[in-house]
Amino acid sequence: MSKLNKVFKITVCIFLFSLCQTKISAQQVVVDSSVLYRIAELEKQVSYKKSGEDNLLIVGVATMGFAAYKTTNTLNGVSSIAKTNSFPDADNFEFSPMFLWRHGKDFLMEFEPSFNNNGLSVNWADVSWFAAPGLIVRAGYFVLPFGTYAKREAAGWIDKLATDPIGIADMTPTDYGIEFEGGLPVGTMKINYDLALTNGNQLLSDGTLTSGNIVDNNNNKTITGRLGFLPFSNSSLELGVSGMFGKVGDQGSAAQGASGNLYAFDLNYIKNVSPFLINIKSQYNIQNISRVNFISPVDSSQTYTFNNHTTSFFAQCSLRPVGANGFLKNLELAGRYTTFNTPANSTFGSNQYTVAVGLDYWLSWRTVFKITYESFTGNSTASKSLNAFNGNTAANTIYVQFSIQL
Amino acid sequence: MKKQQIRKMSVITVILFCLTIIVTSMIGCKASQVVSQKTGVQLWTENCQRCHNTPSPSSFSAEQWETIGMHMQTRALLTNEERDKIVEFLKQ
Repeated sequence: MSKLNKVFKITVCIFLFSLCQTKISAQQVVVDSSVLYRIAELEKQVSYKKSGEDNLLIVGVATMGFAAYKTTNTLNGVSSIAKTNSFPDADNFEFSPMFLWRHGKDFLMEFEPSFNNNGLSVNWADVSWFAAPGLIVRAGYFVLPFGTYAKREAAGWIDKLATDPIGIADMTPTDYGIEFEGGLPVGTMKINYDLALTNGNQLLSDGTLTSGNIVDNNNNKTITGRLGFLPFSNSSLELGVSGMFGKVGDQGSAAQGASGNLYAFDLNYIKNVSPFLINIKSQYNIQNISRVNFISPVDSSQTYTFNNHTTSFFAQCSLRPVGANGFLKNLELAGRYTTFNTPANSTFGSNQYTVAVGLDYWLSWRTVFKITYESFTGNSTASKSLNAFNGNTAANTIYVQFSIQL
Repeated sequence: MKKQQIRKMSVITVILFCLTIIVTSMIGCKASQVVSQKTGVQLWTENCQRCHNTPSPSSFSAEQWETIGMHMQTRALLTNEERDKIVEFLKQ
């Protein structure tokens, strides 16, 4: 009897268990279909948003402001004063969206059109191939590796002052060619190199240089190289030496043998001295061009010549109380001294100096509002016999500027 | 005088360049252990502020940071290890 009872109990248990299982599986079927539907929908959405190998990004810079000038020119003992002001300060206004187009991890295209005082122009248009660790190969139209200011520090949202140091960026060409560059670790130090082969500069009829010719003016290519050295493990100091060598005269012209030899030395140092962040930047450019004869602008049957030697230098120091609280930590004080000496006895020779001081307010890490005062002195060394001497000029300018990285 | 100066400077430049290449080759282009152990945060602080303020990680998406990392490597000439660590930190 007890055996029969036991069998009965087991049968009831099996029945109840199978009943429960049927109910659970029925519930599962209902739940699964809705979840599966939802998952399918999500998968569809994710497939639209999943990261591909390519990425197109638009960044760039916009800089605008106001400048008020007072200029005094003294020629033959007679002075004239001019006061002007302008929206924007023409030399520094720009709206430059930059297109970065990445193909996987090996290729990057960079294109930066710019609307500025030259109208619509292009700052660079190039393709970089990340060929190997420590080797990037670039081709196209790019800023040459001559010093660091033009390539790294000139953008309005990076520059601590509203103006560029005179002569420095002007002596750094943008040109068509091919470039090899990279950064390498060397123990606790680092070095970086940058070597470019380009069409090169072109000597103009007054002895100045121009660049960026898509058709080379001679068959000689210009070599530009920079070697950077970061001796400290925290990368706080970088020292660089650059050289640019090539023929500058037009093929078949009287000046076809003329060459240009340029050198640049740069320094960048950053130091945290609580509560301040101190940044020192400097660059010294030297430009030597072969002595050639130019046609006189006064009498085209005559020629003239001069020692075509140009130098430019700047030293800048900025101070930001990053350790302070609130309003103070967004302020930055900057000062800069610049010299720019162009060839004496030419039609454009002068010795120029500027002193600039500025106070910046950082609205964000890439948005800045600047007030800069700049004092300029220019003493003409141009040829009097060519009617090019224009006396001495002194200018005081206040700039109010806003710059943002887009 | 000028030509002599130019030659002198050219020679000095070439010598400095060659010396650097030789020293680099001898050491074998390897980062020391101290440098290799640096985190993305450290490298982000040290390298970005060489030119500009340190960027906020929230400014761009992970994909965009990859692109910007490549662009910045061409400007600041970062080593590959530095770029990868900084980008990884900024993507978080």
